[in-house]
Amino acid sequence: MDKTSPSRVRAGGDLPLVTGLMPAVLEKGRPFRFEARGTSMEPFIVDGDILTVVPLAGSRPRPGDVAAFVHPASGGVRVHRVVKVEDGRYVLKGDNALDADGALSRDQILGVVVRLERGGRVRPVGRGLGAALRARLSRSALVVRLTRRARRLAGARKDRC
Amino acid sequence: MCQEIDLSKAYGPSEDVVVREIEGEIVIVPLASGIGDIEDELYTLNETGRDIWTRLDGAKPLAAVVRELAEAYDAPAGQVEGDVVGLLEELLVRRMIVEKG
Repeated sequence: MDKTSPSRVRAGGDLPLVTGLMPAVLEKGRPFRFEARGTSMEPFIVDGDILTVVPLAGSRPRPGDVAAFVHPASGGVRVHRVVKVEDGRYVLKGDNALDADGALSRDQILGVVVRLERGGRVRPVGRGLGAALRARLSRSALVVRLTRRARRLAGARKDRC
Repeated sequence: MCQEIDLSKAYGPSEDVVVREIEGEIVIVPLASGIGDIEDELYTLNETGRDIWTRLDGAKPLAAVVRELAEAYDAPAGQVEGDVVGLLEELLVRRMIVEKG
């Protein structure tokens, strides 16, 4: 028999690991900490940020909350913003995405993000007025348009220099 | 501190872990610290470790696990026992398994 010690590994935002483990950890009532990948929540969450998600534990997500859910089409876990609650269903959307993910039931939402770490510093993830405002901005896709315009301008300036 | 492993006892996964098989690998997330942290506290087992882990059902005495593995690996029971006890000591220290009876 070869060496049998458990090896400590780092998930590094690996989607199958996040998708396979987050629901099980949250079901046990424990917070889940992992690395975010992708750009769909920029500029609020950027690739490589470390997020902590907590189970809802009886509470209901509110507009502005950044929630983890199993994407109905891909089956993978995603972290997007609740932009609207309508007829008891939750519309989620990435701040940097043009389209919403669809209207989900409460059961499809795994938990909400309560902590964000970037470059070793903790950034607040509020659930108050600021979050509600972000939900409105995200719903109108204003953030996407402003971000993309800023990038275009930055690109044009770079070309001129 | 190292807890003594008793071959007459059964051992099984602790309530404080989440274990899943993902893409053919056994992955273990300890929850004893109160959080499932897959960036700082995620473990995998190699094939041998996995063979041992899957036999730790909390009912079978460890001596029976050693016998089964010695047969499966066609290896001397004494050598297998050393490997099994070595792994269990590590798993116990990390609070991934508990003595069941």
